[in-house]
Amino acid sequence: MPQVMIELANVTKIYGRGEKRVVALDNVSLKINKGEIFGIIGLSGAGKSTLIRCMNKLEVPQAGTITIAGQEITKLKGKELRETRRKIGMIFQHFNLLSSRTVYGNIAFPLEIAGVKRSEIKERVLSLIELVGLSDKISAYPAELSGGQKQRVGIARALANNPEVLLCDEATSALDPETTKSILGLLQDVNQRFNLTIVLITHQMNVIKDICDTVAVIEDGRIVEQGPVVELFARPRTPTARRFMKSVLPTEVPAEIKERALKLDKNWPGKTVRISFIGEVAGEPVISSLIRKFQVDVNIIYANLDYIKNIPFGSLIIDLMGEGPKIEAAMQYLEDLGLKLEVLNGVEPTA
Amino acid sequence: MVWNLLLKALGETLYMVGFSLVLSAFFGIPLGIILVITEPRHIKPAPLIHKLLSTVINIGRSLPFIILLVAIIPFTRLVVGTSIGTTGAIVPLTVSAIPFVARVVESALLEIDRGVIEAAQAMGATTIQIITKVMIPEAVPGLILGLTMVAVSLIGYSAMAGAIGGGGLGDLSIRYGYQRFRGDIMFLTVVILVAIVQGLQSFGSWLAARLNRR
Ligand SMILES: Nc1ncnc2c1ncn2[C@@H]1O[C@H](COP(=O)(O)OP(=O)(O)OP(=O)(O)O)[C@@H](O)[C@H]1O
Ligand SMILES: [Mg+2]
Repeated sequence: MPQVMIELANVTKIYGRGEKRVVALDNVSLKINKGEIFGIIGLSGAGKSTLIRCMNKLEVPQAGTITIAGQEITKLKGKELRETRRKIGMIFQHFNLLSSRTVYGNIAFPLEIAGVKRSEIKERVLSLIELVGLSDKISAYPAELSGGQKQRVGIARALANNPEVLLCDEATSALDPETTKSILGLLQDVNQRFNLTIVLITHQMNVIKDICDTVAVIEDGRIVEQGPVVELFARPRTPTARRFMKSVLPTEVPAEIKERALKLDKNWPGKTVRISFIGEVAGEPVISSLIRKFQVDVNIIYANLDYIKNIPFGSLIIDLMGEGPKIEAAMQYLEDLGLKLEVLNGVEPTA
Repeated sequence: MVWNLLLKALGETLYMVGFSLVLSAFFGIPLGIILVITEPRHIKPAPLIHKLLSTVINIGRSLPFIILLVAIIPFTRLVVGTSIGTTGAIVPLTVSAIPFVARVVESALLEIDRGVIEAAQAMGATTIQIITKVMIPEAVPGLILGLTMVAVSLIGYSAMAGAIGGGGLGDLSIRYGYQRFRGDIMFLTVVILVAIVQGLQSFGSWLAARLNRR
């Protein structure tokens, strides 16, 4: 049984009143396990920031409870709240570093606040600077750093007090794709090294795809879908999830192939089929089985493959040619293997 | 003889401006801080205190200095034992500069990125730690520029303090230059005043730029 690190139960957050009333979170319940990277994805204004900010009580929900590492944070105040917050690191889209302090000073800041001794601060800061790979920038001011370097300082600062949880609000949204990859790599590294629980808010599906174990889709303040990332990719249930998926996977059939399929003669004794798959397919050599077992001819016309957390995911478009019943049987065989099939020819063009 | 007069007056001006600047900063900076942190979504929201303080500051800022000078004579006497002379001028100068300092501090502190303050909150910083370790250090350049502005306007006001026998360059210029038709003295005092203001402003701007890490 995995240990639950963060639990939200029926959390509701409303901003403003009267005409300006906005229900930012509507009865949200979530469980986040210790040591996992939990992604929350949603469109702008869906309530992502509100959700993550409730987790360290930067926002106070009107209803519901939030428990982190056994502490009910929604009940805490004053000193207790401050002490619990030290165990919850947070990084931000715009880094939020102190412009008046150097890299060293910024990372030392949370330790100073916690009343750690000077000598210990020095030791800790130096090891953190090394961890995030900024040893040559120790005396630089934030204005002298690139976005990626600033976020590394942000991560080092967030880790200073050995937190159990790291909250990331759009931590890579202000970075270019290359830098995003390196920051995500660093997050994955600290996740494994310290068995740190990471909650990651984003509107970029590739962030979810690259490092998250579990994902929740938020829409208009409600969690509309949640589960293992692989599941979401395999079987997105909501239109929102499907839309996000499309942004990272070429699940669309290329236009040329669609056209080609539609131009085929109605009497052509074959089928153009798209096969979508996720995960290794039952260890069987599928294509050769088709040919051998069902005596159909197979012509591969398009294929793409991608990986989500080491699990292959993709689609294959083939022409199946042969006698009608044999094609039917072959398709049945593919469906029995758990593959998703879609016939592209002989169908009316939609829209 | 002229130089002695000028030197003495310069000393009085610096004495009045220096003291009232330090004193008004001492009282005005905390007020400015309170004004900011009691704002609706800041670190210690307190609408009532905020409104009250803001109103009092506005009243203080709208009183003409010359009226304030006279109006608080009893208070001045109570504080420094006299309502005349250079020392007597320090009290009204300070009182008039406090609300000005408070507003200047307010605007410097509001310039700080809210995200930085939020990050400190998320790290478990206390209100005092946020003020002393985040807000003030982050606002240093703005605070210096603001206090330079206060100092320059105190130089102007200190000239009016001559009205209660406060002395200083402004007073000298009026008594000799205007009343005794000593154009040369009037000219020299003006030159010195301009030089002080220029020097002060240049120094303030230079220091603010030097300490600006953004
Ligand atoms: N302080 C606030 N006062 C009033 N309304 C707010 C406040 N903060 C957020 N909201 C509203 O709550 C809703 C959710 O906002 P939130 O910032 O959580 O969205 P988000 O998913 O983080 O969006 P984005 O991707 O643009 O950052 C929005 O409709 C927003 O306008
Ligand atoms: Mg947001």
